[in-house]
Amino acid sequence: MSQFMARGLKALLVLTALCASFSLFAHGVDEDTKQFLTQNQGISIIPFIYIGAKHMVTGYDHLLFLFGVIFFLFRSKDILLYVSLFTLGHSITLLYGVLGNIAVNPYLIDAIIGLSVVYKGFDNIGGFKALLGFQPNPRAAVMIFGLFHGFGLATKIQEFNLPEQGLVANMLAFNLGVELGQFMALALVLIGMSFWRRHSSYFRFSLASNTLLMSCGLMLTGFQLTGFFVS
Amino acid sequence: MNSVTTPEHSTTSLVKASALAAVLAAIVLVICILPSEYNIDPTGAGKALGLTQLAGVQPMPEQSAAADKRTDTVKIEIPAGKGLEYKLLMEKYAHLEYEWHTGGEVLYFDFHGEPKGDTTGYFESFAITTSHQMKGSLTAPFTGSHGWYWKNTGDAPVVVTLSIKGNYTIKG
Repeated sequence: MSQFMARGLKALLVLTALCASFSLFAHGVDEDTKQFLTQNQGISIIPFIYIGAKHMVTGYDHLLFLFGVIFFLFRSKDILLYVSLFTLGHSITLLYGVLGNIAVNPYLIDAIIGLSVVYKGFDNIGGFKALLGFQPNPRAAVMIFGLFHGFGLATKIQEFNLPEQGLVANMLAFNLGVELGQFMALALVLIGMSFWRRHSSYFRFSLASNTLLMSCGLMLTGFQLTGFFVS
Repeated sequence: MNSVTTPEHSTTSLVKASALAAVLAAIVLVICILPSEYNIDPTGAGKALGLTQLAGVQPMPEQSAAADKRTDTVKIEIPAGKGLEYKLLMEKYAHLEYEWHTGGEVLYFDFHGEPKGDTTGYFESFAITTSHQMKGSLTAPFTGSHGWYWKNTGDAPVVVTLSIKGNYTIKG
């Protein structure tokens, strides 16, 4: 029992650590990157790939959502399908948002991203089936929330008023970096999860893990909504 | 879909779990996140824990803007019979010192600013005249793009040499 508790605690610690990096990366892009982005002229593929990857690896909101999405996916085929749907969703709105110069309030979009985390946690514990009597299509949900996550990525980039010159190539590079970063982060999460999945504590703590996931999502939402009202 | 059966929970435990999630989120938000991020501290716990100091040390946009004061000198060719815009992105109250000359050929120009996010086509002109040089400074009245429109009415291209110093980002 104590062994299970220790495992459970370890998992909770990882989740909490993900939540705790709030202030470090609040609203995304750090000062050095900001410096680079505002000074940059023309096409720079590799730096933009790097910025995209870094944003995804350090972007706790996207990672929390993906953690929720793959929590009950056990076959690599399913994981690939869901992550592809998410990728498709956020690629569409990232490119559309930046190239179409669609301005979405970053606080509101990040609040919705927080709600996507809550949704997935609630979905994972079977909340919709139990309380509403039906199960919303999880594939459609991951795709739709992917669209919102993409707008979130787009607003991060738009804050910098990037020069028009080379914008399309830079955006494509940024998006590629986002996918690479997502892949790397996901691989790490999956390795951790597959160790945990071999033990019955995974199921025993699934309610606790997803409750904590919902709680983190609610914190994100509250944090961003407050930002919206005070800024 | 899965070969593994996922655990089923009673409605009571689902409601409990959701309520717990909400309560935990509210507590962490009120005690830690809001005091550290926004200096909002209704319970006073943030101050007691020393978290409200974090909200104070975040660099203000004005301070970070002042840190990256820069200078640039650019040559802009205005083709014969054509007009050309050169824009800088500036924050509200950011300061700019500028000087430009053509080496003798006179150009019609409009030195103006457009507020960021404005879609009505509004702009404010700071100077409209015809000259071969101008020197001065600008404190941006609003956040947006500020810069010059030069029109070359002659039949030979004219090169404008522009030197600028201040807090801005070149939009071009």
